[in-house]
Amino acid sequence: MSLAITNLKKRFGDVQALDGISFSVAPGEVFGFLGANGAGKTTTMRIALGLLRADEGSVTWQDRPTRSWPRRTWGYLPEERGLYGRMPVLDQLVFYASLYGVPRDRARRDALHWLARFRISEYADRRAETLSKGNQQKVQFIATILHDPDVVLMDEPFAALDPVNVALLKAAVLEMRDRGRTLVFSTHQLDMAEELCDSVAIIDRGRLVTEGPTREVKRSAGRQVVRLATSDDHDLSWLDELPHVKVTRPGRDYTELHVDADGDPQTVLRAAMGRGESVLQFEVADPSLEEIFVERVGAIDTTERTLAAAPAEVAR
Amino acid sequence: MSDIANVITVARREFLTRIRTRTFVFGTVLLLAGVVAIAFVPIIVQYLEGNGTEEKVAVWVGTPDLATDPVPTLDALLNAPTGMPGAVPGAGAGGFAVSSVPDLGSAREAVTAGTYVAVLGIERDQGGELEFTLYTNERATGRTSQLVQQASNAVTIADRLERLGVTPADQASLFAPASYEVAWPEPGRTDPPEGSLEAGSSYLLGFGMTILIFMMIVLYGNWVAASVVEEKSSRVMEVILNAATPFQLMAGKVLGVGSVALVQFGAILVAGVAALLLQGRVAELVLGPAAGGVDLPEGLTIGMLLAFVAYGVLGFLLYAVLYAAAGSLVSRQEDVAQVVMPMALLSTAGYIIAVYASTGLLDIRAGWMVLLALVPFISPFLILSRIVAGEVAPWEIAASLVLLVGAIVVALWIAARIYAAGVLIYGQRPSLRTIWRLARTGM
Repeated sequence: MSLAITNLKKRFGDVQALDGISFSVAPGEVFGFLGANGAGKTTTMRIALGLLRADEGSVTWQDRPTRSWPRRTWGYLPEERGLYGRMPVLDQLVFYASLYGVPRDRARRDALHWLARFRISEYADRRAETLSKGNQQKVQFIATILHDPDVVLMDEPFAALDPVNVALLKAAVLEMRDRGRTLVFSTHQLDMAEELCDSVAIIDRGRLVTEGPTREVKRSAGRQVVRLATSDDHDLSWLDELPHVKVTRPGRDYTELHVDADGDPQTVLRAAMGRGESVLQFEVADPSLEEIFVERVGAIDTTERTLAAAPAEVAR
Repeated sequence: MSDIANVITVARREFLTRIRTRTFVFGTVLLLAGVVAIAFVPIIVQYLEGNGTEEKVAVWVGTPDLATDPVPTLDALLNAPTGMPGAVPGAGAGGFAVSSVPDLGSAREAVTAGTYVAVLGIERDQGGELEFTLYTNERATGRTSQLVQQASNAVTIADRLERLGVTPADQASLFAPASYEVAWPEPGRTDPPEGSLEAGSSYLLGFGMTILIFMMIVLYGNWVAASVVEEKSSRVMEVILNAATPFQLMAGKVLGVGSVALVQFGAILVAGVAALLLQGRVAELVLGPAAGGVDLPEGLTIGMLLAFVAYGVLGFLLYAVLYAAAGSLVSRQEDVAQVVMPMALLSTAGYIIAVYASTGLLDIRAGWMVLLALVPFISPFLILSRIVAGEVAPWEIAASLVLLVGAIVVALWIAARIYAAGVLIYGQRPSLRTIWRLARTGM
């Protein structure tokens, strides 16, 4: 019943963009698609939407190939913003929606509603090119969901947004999920994914690194994070002597330790109390997605191996 | 969502966006003004000549025995139409006002003062012949002098005939022109001979229509390509590609731009024809009731107009889908000119052949011309020249239309495949080999 991506392979010239990617997205969840630039996120999305053809593999939604579903099933927010610069905002929103078969008057009404919700009503009759990047981004999001698609795929939707707009967009995403829509978005902002996603997949250089519910992915490392603050933080050497414990971040407010799979965080607490110090803070948590990512993939690669340029390889 | 609805949605946006641009509005208004101005040029010229440049010529007759008054004769001869082909009646009039004066001396003073351009003195010498003297500040070889000299010859001949006893009525039949005709060597052939007035004006018409079709294809074809590139470079393509198929996008674009072309050309045609039809009435208003009406150009028949519309529309469709496919291959406006080169060359070749054929530089009756007029990329230009030349058999028109429609279907199929793959290519310009592969595999 899910959006199932099975063994996708795609080659552009010399570059193997996708090398057997498989994962599935359950209906009604927010799914994070994580990877560095050039990992294959955009290519996977384009194939899922039928804009590109895979060399191998399949993408199905509710057991039918994604291409066989009506176009209005899908909403797509590409990474590069695509608006007609010289066309008024409202006109192009109505245009996009009517391509999906939404009657013009309904599209108009819904568009005005969304513009108000995103606090950009006053730009309805302005040409798109006169809007700021962040506002164009919001218009683009409205264009993506105006026809109320069942599955929404978004490529880096939070890029170029300030914190206020990020919050507006997050609220919209969660509301759509609550209405039973399935939302997939790619990002390299891992804290965003951690906050928003029910499940995630991490890919690197066209291969799947890990996937699953966010919680399980975070636990997959098998270790736990302990944050500890005591009345006497000056001497931390006793922590290093505990088995299965590693101090990762000595700090002023608290000290962060990793307790590996064989250890028990409670031994840390007992040891601290045994030293006669008063424990001000003791917290057991899963490692962050960022830590998992860095551990599995290495630091996020900032060198550009840009996604959009990849299909140009066709031209060879 | 059916195919057609999306095609219409895309076409509608394209159309509305284009006709709302300032360049389109100004361009159309300018073109309309130009067409109307050209249509009224003869009247304007006549008006200016009639008022501004009237030349007064005085006639002083110094002999009492002239049988006929020379003033009306001179007037008629000086103001006779120049006989240029295609001249509008009255436009060739000399603009002379001829009147008789009683006194040569004061008339000569009046010439010096500028009241008259010239005064013509007519006397009889001892031999009985008429003697003409033109008193004027103009050059002896000027237009006035030459026309007056010709008119004087006529007056002299009439006078000599008079003295020989030929009555004025007989003189008229004496000078009636001979009946003379040019005809084709083949019996039964009735179309107007080459170079005749009638044929000349329909050649001109076919020529004009060919120019219009060529302009439409090149102008709006480029527009289609630029519009595709605009969607690519603004990355709108990726968004709308999720909603509509490449074929719908391409068809909508071609139809949208095509409708803009139809509107613009329709407006020009309507304005032009209306101006021509109104010419007579406007001429009456401006020049007075004597001015003759103006007819539609010879050869402008319903059939001709239908052929013009059919070949214009089909020719545009054929080229436009290829322009769209070409546009899909590049992602920057700067690269458009390069990638539409094949279409530009092909249409220019067709156009030049048609121009040479209608102006007689190429023999329009040659066998290879018959074949060429069937070739889809050439026929929209060439066939009109052949139609006005009266050279086309009905089967030729039918065959060329069928071939043209067939070519559009094939071009549409190839272009849609190139377009489908091309629209997501960004970066370098694809090679011929790539284009071939795209056309074969589609993606």
